[in-house]
Amino acid sequence: MDTIVALATPSGRSAIGLVRLSGSNSLAITRLLIADQTFQPRPANVVRRNIRNLSNGQAIDQPLLTYYEAPNSFTGEDVVEISCHGSPLILRAVIDSVLSVGARLAGPGEFTLRALNHGKMNLSQAEAIRDLINAQTDAAAQQAVRQLNGELSNRLHPIKEALLNLIVLLESAVEFVEDDLPLIQRKHIEEKVEHLIAQVDRLASTFESGHFLRDGLRVAIVGPPNAGKSTIFNRLLMFDRAIVTDIAGTTRDTLSETLNIGGVPVVLTDTAGLREDSANLAESIGLERTKQAMADADLLLVVLDGSVPLTATEWEILRLSSDYRRVVAVNKLDLPQFRNELADSNNDRGRVIEVSAKSEDGLGRLREALVEPFHSFDTSDAGLLITDARHYDLLCRTRTELESACSLLNQGASEELVLNGLHNGLRFLGAITGETTAQDVLSQIFATFCIGK
Amino acid sequence: MIFDEAFDVVVIGGGHAGCEAASAAARLGMNTALVAINLDLIGQMSCNPAIGGIAKGHLVREIDALGGIMGRVIDRTGIQFRLLNRSRGPAVQSPRAQADRSLYRREMRRTLEATPNLHLRQGMVIDLLVHGGSIRGVEMQDTRKIGCKAVVVATGTFLNGLVHTGRRTHSAGRAGEPASVELADSLKRLGFPIGRLKTGTPPRLDGRTIDWQAFEPQPPDKKPVAFSFSTESIEQPQIDCYIGYTTNELHQTIRDNLHESPLYSGKIKGIGPRYCPSIEDKVVKFADKDRHQLFLEPEGHETNEVYLNGFSTSLPAELQLELVRMIPGLEESQIIRPGYAIEYDFVDPRSLRPDLQTASIEGLFLAGQINGTTGYEEAACQGLIAGINSAMFVQRRESFRLKREEAYIGVLTDDLITHGVDEPYRMFTSRAEYRLALRHDNADRRLEPYGRELGLIGDSDWERFNGKRDRIARIRSTLDKTRLTRSDPAYAALSAALRCDLGDSVTLSQVAQRPGVSAEMIQQFLPKSADEKGSLSDLESALADSLYSGYIDGQTATIRRLHQHDGLRIPSDLQFGAIDGLSREMVERLERARPLTFGHARRIPGLTPAALSQLLVYLGLRTQAA
Repeated sequence: MDTIVALATPSGRSAIGLVRLSGSNSLAITRLLIADQTFQPRPANVVRRNIRNLSNGQAIDQPLLTYYEAPNSFTGEDVVEISCHGSPLILRAVIDSVLSVGARLAGPGEFTLRALNHGKMNLSQAEAIRDLINAQTDAAAQQAVRQLNGELSNRLHPIKEALLNLIVLLESAVEFVEDDLPLIQRKHIEEKVEHLIAQVDRLASTFESGHFLRDGLRVAIVGPPNAGKSTIFNRLLMFDRAIVTDIAGTTRDTLSETLNIGGVPVVLTDTAGLREDSANLAESIGLERTKQAMADADLLLVVLDGSVPLTATEWEILRLSSDYRRVVAVNKLDLPQFRNELADSNNDRGRVIEVSAKSEDGLGRLREALVEPFHSFDTSDAGLLITDARHYDLLCRTRTELESACSLLNQGASEELVLNGLHNGLRFLGAITGETTAQDVLSQIFATFCIGK
Repeated sequence: MIFDEAFDVVVIGGGHAGCEAASAAARLGMNTALVAINLDLIGQMSCNPAIGGIAKGHLVREIDALGGIMGRVIDRTGIQFRLLNRSRGPAVQSPRAQADRSLYRREMRRTLEATPNLHLRQGMVIDLLVHGGSIRGVEMQDTRKIGCKAVVVATGTFLNGLVHTGRRTHSAGRAGEPASVELADSLKRLGFPIGRLKTGTPPRLDGRTIDWQAFEPQPPDKKPVAFSFSTESIEQPQIDCYIGYTTNELHQTIRDNLHESPLYSGKIKGIGPRYCPSIEDKVVKFADKDRHQLFLEPEGHETNEVYLNGFSTSLPAELQLELVRMIPGLEESQIIRPGYAIEYDFVDPRSLRPDLQTASIEGLFLAGQINGTTGYEEAACQGLIAGINSAMFVQRRESFRLKREEAYIGVLTDDLITHGVDEPYRMFTSRAEYRLALRHDNADRRLEPYGRELGLIGDSDWERFNGKRDRIARIRSTLDKTRLTRSDPAYAALSAALRCDLGDSVTLSQVAQRPGVSAEMIQQFLPKSADEKGSLSDLESALADSLYSGYIDGQTATIRRLHQHDGLRIPSDLQFGAIDGLSREMVERLERARPLTFGHARRIPGLTPAALSQLLVYLGLRTQAA
């Protein structure tokens, strides 16, 4: 297999950039880069070396090198990680040099695929381990570990069993019409299907919160200029800084950072931008920015200047965001003229927190307010969450099929049509937990009923 | 090798599989010999004198659509026709008929004797003559050697057959008929994986000694639905069957005497089916039932014998009489033939290819109960497939096979060669994931074109079929185009009859999707036809098409999405143990099943999605690296 290379850190300027190689030529290529054929590093040890641009011999950088010897690496192959300064020019030069001596650029997900092939994980574990690797927080990690331990299967098992029993009842009515079997109570079955729908629905709905644990909660800070957005941004950052990773979809003229707030990975975006425009244009820019942020964000943090009466712009922002998930921070609590004009308003959608970014007063409450819907995941007995879009999709499809079966029962349709929906539902569940075969259904029938002609 | 006689195809066994195989091969132009131990018993029903039933009736109609003979024979000899599941949707309705047992045999023999290229030979085959990996002929007990290019083995329960009645056993293929012992050895020597199965049969009673008044009659259908698409009407006089019940006293007596049952004393090694179990099984497994249902099935107009369905047993004969007399209405009854259990050899059908040819010996085909199935219909459809393919083999034509989504026959052969059998395999509608598309009434539209292409469907049948196909297509078009609005006078009546609102405007095909729609309700909207009975049945088919089409499309899409990798091939030399991340249990299951495609692997019982994913990744990477 080829030796592959890729940038493991996000592109763009940053303090550190990581280039990763995997494959049997990793070490050989590295030796060429550092111009030292005797290089024999100890596995999992960090050393510093000079590396050269192989096309012109010039020194590129003095990176840290870490070598992992197969099979004790992420992919199961020989892996070399080159930690350079994060200049795009440097990283480009490194990768070009690596490519010029026999490696090739990795395809999307190819490192993970190799890990799979070398048995470092199986696919459903990969779904969980990937989350674990990506998990910014303990809670997210916990969910991944739960899935790793088959908790999802356990949770689905009783649903599957109940569905199977219903199928068995209806199939025996259809298949063994000449046998002396108890009459099927359709109303009874309908109730049972409804019960199953509720269970599937409950589980599926955890995805709404669950996927934030995995993908991160996108919080956009909006508000007029000088309300103190950037200060609040920085304060929150200092509190809760986490490892930076590549977040898809962040735009160039905003600042995004990933934080860990109460176990929830939060992608905090400051819409202040790199340029502040003049006062007359400020309002329209503020509104534009707000509208854009609303489109991209899961939660809006509206920062208002509490030291001056609310302007028309601010009222507009509040109005625009009133249907969204939001938290309002009335800033500048430290100033004597501070006044929270929203204190009396009956605002059930958002939460209003009085803060002072300067003195840090109220920041704790602000943090909590941001993750309040997910707050229970701090505790260890948090329920199982569906974090994976694939599972969520399958659960939704299961629910749809069960609902159609229910409606058919209600209309008095013949059993084979009802069974069609139930079997489809079982197929979708089976894509998560394991397939149920026709033989399983028959076995259950014979175990339950005396079939005798 | 010198042969006394030579044919293209030799069929061993004159049971349901053998008859279909011989008839098909002969009609496809093969010089065919049907070799049977006793030619007087060709087409004998070993057990229940009935053809059809849920899913089985589907098989018979599919056999008929392809050009097989079972459907025609039962139509001429059936004495109680009933369409099962009339109250349910058309996809799960299935025809069934009690037969006059001796009439069925005679009609089957008559049909075979009227078939050109088909030659009957009496005798027992004791050896298969194989040379260079191909079949060359068979050797008879009377020393004759018959040469041929292909052989279909359809020996039913005869291979090392062992009959059990109470503590006594004797070698037999069926009561009163010798077992086939040497042929069984021959198969073992040829290296086939052999297993043991069992089945049972109930006693036959003397109808003159039954108090018929004590039983609930089960009458035949007023308008019998025939099996064969060529049958115009059922002519034979029909009879009633009767329903009765066991008693607690009977159950207790059985329990007290379980030690006399070869099944419970451990004498029987073979595995029996869980459905249609012996009365001993029923009483033990379902101890809390205080009565079990029984059926009295008269075996013909010209005999006193009555089949006691539901009372399969291998208890001693004298005990059987005592037990039977505990059944209300049978206090004075006499047993003409006692029930018994029979054990027999079968060949693991995973050693077969989809055309039912053995993978190890060219030209050798196995069909019927020898492959681990139970039931006349299951045997017959395999016989048909094997017979067709024996001819294809000789003629070097492409082999014929049906897919799961095309026919129950496809489901059956696929299940057999993919999974093998743990117990005698009987067809159920739930085995077919495409059940809604595989109706008994559309078997001809699904399969008759194949039959025609093969050469088994004659001109008049083909003409009739085309006419019907066109008529149904026209009716469907009318259903799609005819729209009713609230203002139409007919709307109100229809809406009232269906007890629901039909919307402001609705096409007839949309109406067809409502529960409770009957052909009679819709007939008024169609142009009058000369053949009213035929047109009603055409309309029923068209309505059924409309009813199910949406569901079938949806289900097909779902299955395709979930099973998109089914066609991915698995190299036959793949070492499953070499795939990282598979538990030992998963590796064992894969090795036992030896799947050749990912679709097969997916259906291996107990294989987890994680294991399947691992397999998929491994296969994907192999194709990448290649």
